[in-house]
Amino acid sequence: MTQETRIIENTWDLTAYQWKIESDALDLYVKGLKDKKILGRKCHKCGTVYVPGPTYCRKCFIDIDKVVEVAQEGVLDAFTVNIADVKGNLIEHPYITCTVKLDGTHSFLMGILEGWTDWRSVKEGMRIKVVWKDVTQGALADLSHFQLI
Amino acid sequence: MKRNVAIISVGYNGRFVSKRPDINIPELIQPAVDNAIGKTKLKHDQIDAYVVGNMHTFEGINQPHLWASDHFGGSKKPVMRIATGGSTGASVYQAAYYHVASGLYDVVMAIGWEKHDEGDAQVGLMGILLPEAFSMFNFGPDMSEDRGIAGLGGGGSTGGAAFQAMSYLTKAHAGIEHIDRVAAMMRSNAAKNPYAHLQQPGCTEADIAKTPIISYPLRYGHTCPTSCGAIAMILVSEEKAKKFGITDRVAWVKGLGSGASDATTGNIIEGQITDPAEQYMCKVVSKKVYSMAGIKDPRKDIQVAEVYSGFSHQDLMWPERLGLVDEGKSPQMLDNGSFAIDGELPLNPSGGVTSTNAIGASAMVRVGEAALQVMGLAEGGHQVQRKIENVVAHGWGGLFQFVTVTVLGRTPVKK
Repeated sequence: MTQETRIIENTWDLTAYQWKIESDALDLYVKGLKDKKILGRKCHKCGTVYVPGPTYCRKCFIDIDKVVEVAQEGVLDAFTVNIADVKGNLIEHPYITCTVKLDGTHSFLMGILEGWTDWRSVKEGMRIKVVWKDVTQGALADLSHFQLI
Repeated sequence: MKRNVAIISVGYNGRFVSKRPDINIPELIQPAVDNAIGKTKLKHDQIDAYVVGNMHTFEGINQPHLWASDHFGGSKKPVMRIATGGSTGASVYQAAYYHVASGLYDVVMAIGWEKHDEGDAQVGLMGILLPEAFSMFNFGPDMSEDRGIAGLGGGGSTGGAAFQAMSYLTKAHAGIEHIDRVAAMMRSNAAKNPYAHLQQPGCTEADIAKTPIISYPLRYGHTCPTSCGAIAMILVSEEKAKKFGITDRVAWVKGLGSGASDATTGNIIEGQITDPAEQYMCKVVSKKVYSMAGIKDPRKDIQVAEVYSGFSHQDLMWPERLGLVDEGKSPQMLDNGSFAIDGELPLNPSGGVTSTNAIGASAMVRVGEAALQVMGLAEGGHQVQRKIENVVAHGWGGLFQFVTVTVLGRTPVKK
C-alpha cells in the first residue's frame, strides 16, 4: 500500500494577513488591562456582568453601555491539567488551564492557574486572584495568570 | 404535527472502521442506501426526495452531494444537504421528517456519513476555532507555544470537553472512576453491536483506567474514535405505510425538536456566560418533545435512551439533562446497573458515540438505533429484551450548543 500521509514542509506567516476585527468588548477589556483594571459591561435590565463586555445583553437581547470595573479576585470554575505540549509530547511539569469567575461577574475568563504544588489537590471553587505582568501595554497578555490564594 | 411519519427501514454500509482506503465516499454511502431499501419491498425510484449530510470540512471535500447523488439515487430528484457539526445526522433526519409531515413528499430517504480517513478532523475543527483565535491576534495575546493562545485552545474539542467534564464531575460529586466505568460499559455494549467500531467484549473499568490522560479528567479511553461509515433511513407517511402494508415493524416519530443556546466555546472574546455542563437547551427541548409525544413522565414512559456522547462523561450528563434521571444522580444509576442493556434504563445499547463516531452519521445512528430498538431488530445481542414503547434519541453539535431530541414509539400519536 502507498504511504497514506503526506507531509508538506512549509511555513505560514500569519503576519502577512492584515485585517481589523471590530470588537467593542475586547477594545474595552484591553484598555482596562493597560491600567491593571478589569473592565466589563453590565446589563441595566437583568444585572448580568460580562467580562469582556459586549455592547448587548445575550439574555435580554438589548443594547447595554454601562461600563463596570470588577474585582480582581474570584473563584476557580473549571480546569484541565495539560500533560503534553501542543505537539503531543509529554512535558515534565504539567500546567493547568482554567476558567475563573471574578467576584460580581457572570462570565468566565480563561487563563493559566499557578500557586499549586500537586494538581490533585486543586478543586473547583477555590479562591483565586489576578496576577499582572510587570509592564502592561494594553494587550491580552498583560494578564499573566491566576494565582490560588 | 401535520401527518404521522414512520421510519420503516434503517441500513448501514457495514461495520464502521477507522480506515477504508479501498473505497471512495460514494462507494461508502451506496451499500447503506441499498441495505435500507433492500429491507423493504420498495425500489430505488420510489424514493421521492433525499436529505443528506456529513461534516464536509473533516473530509476536505466540499459539496459532496453534487457528485455523490448519482450513487445514492438522487439524480433528478430533490436533494437537500445539511451540516450542523456533530448534530448533522439528526438535523438531516429531522429535515427528512418535515419533508414527509408537511405533505410535500411521501417517501423520503435520510443519509448521513463520514469518511474520516479522507481528511483531517483536527484541521476541520481548527477551522471553527480560527476565527476566534484570529480576532484575538488583534489584541496582543500571549503567543508562547504552550501557555499561550495555542495552549488555551486545548487542542480542539477534547480541550473544551475537559472543562465540561470537570464542571459536571464537581456538580455530580463524581470522580474520574465514574467516567472510566461508563466508558467500559459502552465499549462492551459495542461488542454486541456488529456495526460498532471499537468493540471490546468484557471491557472493564481497569482497562480504561490504563489509558493515558489527554486533558484531565479525560483519558484516551474516554474519547470517541474517528470512524468511516454511513447510515440510511427511509421515512414514509402513515397513509403510505398502510398502503405498502408495513405498519408492524416500524418506528413512529412521536415527537421531535431542536434548539441552540449560547455557544459555550468560541465566545471567550465576548464574555462567555454559559457553563458547558449546564446544557439548558437540552432540558427545554426535551420537555417540548415529550409533550409533543404525549409523554407525561419520561422516567416511566421511556424505556431506552440513545445519547450523543463524543466523550464519556457526557454519557452521564445527558440522561440528567434529558429529564430521565435526577440531576447529579447518573453516577449512582451507573453503579447500580440501571444503565446496562438489561437494566432499568438501558443507555446506548449500541455502544454509543464513544465507540463509533462517523461524525455526519453519528447523530442519525442514535435515531436509527432507537428505531431498531422499537422495531425489535437490533442485531448481535444489543436488542433490549423488555417491552419497549418509547425510545429517546439525542444529538449534540455546533460549538457545544446545538441539541436535537426525538422520541420514537411503537404506536403513532393519535390525530
